[in-house]
Amino acid sequence: MNTNLTDKNLTGKRSLLRHTVATLAYRGGKAVTNAPEGFEEFRVNESTRTPGQILAHIGDLLDWGLSIASGQQKWHDSKPLAWNDEVARFYAALAAFDAFLASDEPLHAPEEKLFQGPVADALTHVGQLAMLRRIAGGPMKGENYFRAEIEAGRVGADQSGKRVEFD
Amino acid sequence: MEDKRKLLNHFLAALAYRTQKALREAPDDFGSFRILEGVRTPAELVRHMASVLGYARTFFVGGHYWPEPLASFEEEIERFHEMLGLLAQHLRNGDALREGMTEERLLQGPFSDAMTHAGQLALLRRFAGAPVPPENFIVAKIQEERLGPDQPKPVCPDKIWPEAPKGWKG
Repeated sequence: MNTNLTDKNLTGKRSLLRHTVATLAYRGGKAVTNAPEGFEEFRVNESTRTPGQILAHIGDLLDWGLSIASGQQKWHDSKPLAWNDEVARFYAALAAFDAFLASDEPLHAPEEKLFQGPVADALTHVGQLAMLRRIAGGPMKGENYFRAEIEAGRVGADQSGKRVEFD
Repeated sequence: MEDKRKLLNHFLAALAYRTQKALREAPDDFGSFRILEGVRTPAELVRHMASVLGYARTFFVGGHYWPEPLASFEEEIERFHEMLGLLAQHLRNGDALREGMTEERLLQGPFSDAMTHAGQLALLRRFAGAPVPPENFIVAKIQEERLGPDQPKPVCPDKIWPEAPKGWKG
């Protein structure tokens, strides 16, 4: 798989989908960084998922997205790992998905479907992690995300520190 | 319509679909449900979603957008969907973006903000004791021109729902 292509070689939609994956890395990274002690087990009531379960589900969604894009659709419900391991899995899943999107391999599903399924789902769950942070007493700072330094391909833990944040 | 704008338009349609899914058949008093002081109610969330989308629209039309609270939750929802329609029209028209705004920045900022809040609405449904049944969203009938409150039912609802409330029939 040739993964050395730049965004200039991609279609507009595929390039924007990569940007969405980078947005997920930036926003998701913020939601999981400096979480309160024991956050992964925090539960509002018996029927709600813990943050650890939500993050594991996000990892499953990204794996699923890659499997659809590559034409081998497969779903797997994983058991949550220890928090730091699950965070590492989150970034690894983003990197694998992004590498495929950046490659010259054909997509086996339209960008719209990949977006409306796994990617949008993952974004909604990032919002849930943020709300749970607030309820658990460890809220994230607000941010003007449109000014954030988000770039396609930047999908690891090393996100830009230049942020327009507010309380 | 240019490719990136087509995907942004689809983003708005997915937002309309997911928001309605989180609101459909909600308890009557869901709009004012507050899980904790300092956490937005559903009505406040929907107003905020309209606000961030209205902010996005200012990059097409200029000026400022600051929505005042409306009298009812239903009106808040109606305003949110109106804003989706207005924004989509600018995308379809190919209207120019102002002040150095790009499609990427619209996506990473206000559009994604609104999507994360749709997820929070679904979470609040669960906290309020009326969770939203899961479905396979990749086959959902999400259509670019369908941005109003009248959204289709799921094409492929999950048959198994481990966290289902008592009495749920899949």
